[in-house]
Amino acid sequence: MSDYNPDNNKLTLKLVFYGPALSGKTTNLTRLHDLLDPELKGEMMVLETKNDRTLFFDLLPLGITAPSGLLIKLKLFTVPGQVAHDSTRKAVLSRADGVVFVADSQITQSINNAESFENLAENAARVGLDFENLPMVVQFNKRDLPNILSEEEINQRWQSTPWKLVFSSALKGDGVRETFSGLLDILYDQMDNKYQLYSDHKLSKEVFIKGVLGETL
Amino acid sequence: MSDFNETIPLGEFDREFTLKELLSGVKTDKLLSAIKTILGGDTCLKSDKDEVVIGKPLSEPLKRVPLYAEMETIGYLMVNKSVDDNLLFSVRQMIEIILKSSIRYLMASDLHLETIQFDYKELKQKHQALMESELRYKDLAANLEQRVGDQVKTIEQAHRQLYQTEKLASVGQLAAGIAHEINNPLGFIQSNLSTSKRYIADFKAFSEKLNNETKVDTLRKTWKELDLDFTIEDFQQLLDESIDGSERVTKIVNDLKEFSSADQSKQEIVDINDHIRSACNIVKLEINKNTIFKQDLGELPNVKCQSGQLSQVFLNILLNAEQVIEVGGEISVKSLMHDGKIIIEITDNGPGIPDDVLKKVFDPFYTTRDVGEGTGLGLTVCRDIIMNHNGNIEVDSKVGEGTTVRITLPVKT
Repeated sequence: MSDYNPDNNKLTLKLVFYGPALSGKTTNLTRLHDLLDPELKGEMMVLETKNDRTLFFDLLPLGITAPSGLLIKLKLFTVPGQVAHDSTRKAVLSRADGVVFVADSQITQSINNAESFENLAENAARVGLDFENLPMVVQFNKRDLPNILSEEEINQRWQSTPWKLVFSSALKGDGVRETFSGLLDILYDQMDNKYQLYSDHKLSKEVFIKGVLGETL
Repeated sequence: MSDFNETIPLGEFDREFTLKELLSGVKTDKLLSAIKTILGGDTCLKSDKDEVVIGKPLSEPLKRVPLYAEMETIGYLMVNKSVDDNLLFSVRQMIEIILKSSIRYLMASDLHLETIQFDYKELKQKHQALMESELRYKDLAANLEQRVGDQVKTIEQAHRQLYQTEKLASVGQLAAGIAHEINNPLGFIQSNLSTSKRYIADFKAFSEKLNNETKVDTLRKTWKELDLDFTIEDFQQLLDESIDGSERVTKIVNDLKEFSSADQSKQEIVDINDHIRSACNIVKLEINKNTIFKQDLGELPNVKCQSGQLSQVFLNILLNAEQVIEVGGEISVKSLMHDGKIIIEITDNGPGIPDDVLKKVFDPFYTTRDVGEGTGLGLTVCRDIIMNHNGNIEVDSKVGEGTTVRITLPVKT
């Protein structure tokens, strides 16, 4: 859960990239590291991988300062997608303020996507997250590959759900920024509600999003 | 099991770390002396809250170099003003590399601990659930005998009810025929009795004449006028007929008694042929197809059996045969001893049973008849009863030729 510390005027938010194994969570983070240019950008921390598979997590810290002087730190995590690492996934998901669900568009991965999504809902409940109200964007990645589900099909399958859908090709960098800004959009509303970002800290949604993305106003 | 309540105290793996925490795994005296050697002067490390973490506070802190970790100032390197800036920059980088590696280490190990804690908690819950289920099974095992006994009782009772239902169904099937057969003699007995009453009146009239008249001729004339010679003859006939009729009713009632005896489980020593005969007699009442009925009953030893139940078996099979045969068809019943066993064969020349149906005839609730026409329990009950007597029942059938039901019973005295 978001951590606001009035002593050093700092708000820390945790965003988690969830999804089945090999769907491109780490690639998303790597691309964001390259694409974004916020006021503060830490190095990407990649923890223990084996054959390019995440075992613990990856971490990318970003930060901006609100006009009030409030430092907002965003910590972007990935979870290990492999089924066996469920406990690690659960621990990384704890205290999350927002989630990007990275699904694999390939037709053969439909079952893995569904299982991973179910696992996300289950783990969210286990670690005490309100899944219904958790800011989330669903990203269908790997649009550059052949044998993928069509956008039409995916839209139809997900149309009854409340989540924003983004189509991406993280390897090429397409849709990664859009996914992230989509999440920031929903995240801002919740955090503004909780911490009065606009009234107390003079931070508008536009400034927040552009600040984190590193775009000039 | 107090250890199940223990928890491992730990911080959240994704928390913000302090400088002190990050240096907790480092040999600080060696680090400090290395920095001192490189910079060629006294030094100390302070947290972002200005507390000394390594070394001693400098008397003349002239330079304060910020140390960054996770995009923020986490503390300061305090040195003498004369230190070279390039050297200082390198030392700062070196310390930041140490801090960074420390963050990695702490995050990984705390995540590991957190994971273990999760697993441990889950294991505890599973253990708890397992203990509860074990308790349930223990409880179940303890009461199993009692519960099985209760279940057996319930099943036995249901069985008895089922048999009773099936018996009533077969008797019900006969009810119309039986009513007719009883009604018939009762009808003519009643008519005979009315006639008899008139005859008595005639005799009464003659008796009055006898008291007032002395002339034999007149009396003879009256006797003739009243036609009392015929009356006497007819009266005799009426009484014979009536006695015969009431005997028929008695016989029907006796045959029926075999089937309605309340206690079917009663063991009796009987001649099975008697029971075959009474079943045949009852079925005959129902027959209005001019069925040819053949009986070839060989001499059988008396056996101890639940005769009421066996009667029901014979009745069921005979009724089945009677239902399927054409007008003018034939049912034959045979009994004999073979290899020390009693064999009873009931054969009809009906349409026979196709193979796919034959496989299922003993299945409970299997029936080829319309809904409400048959319970589908007739042969199931028959088989159960015969098995209870350690006997055997089988059905042979050929489509277009007919069906034979063969019952084998051991001799038990």
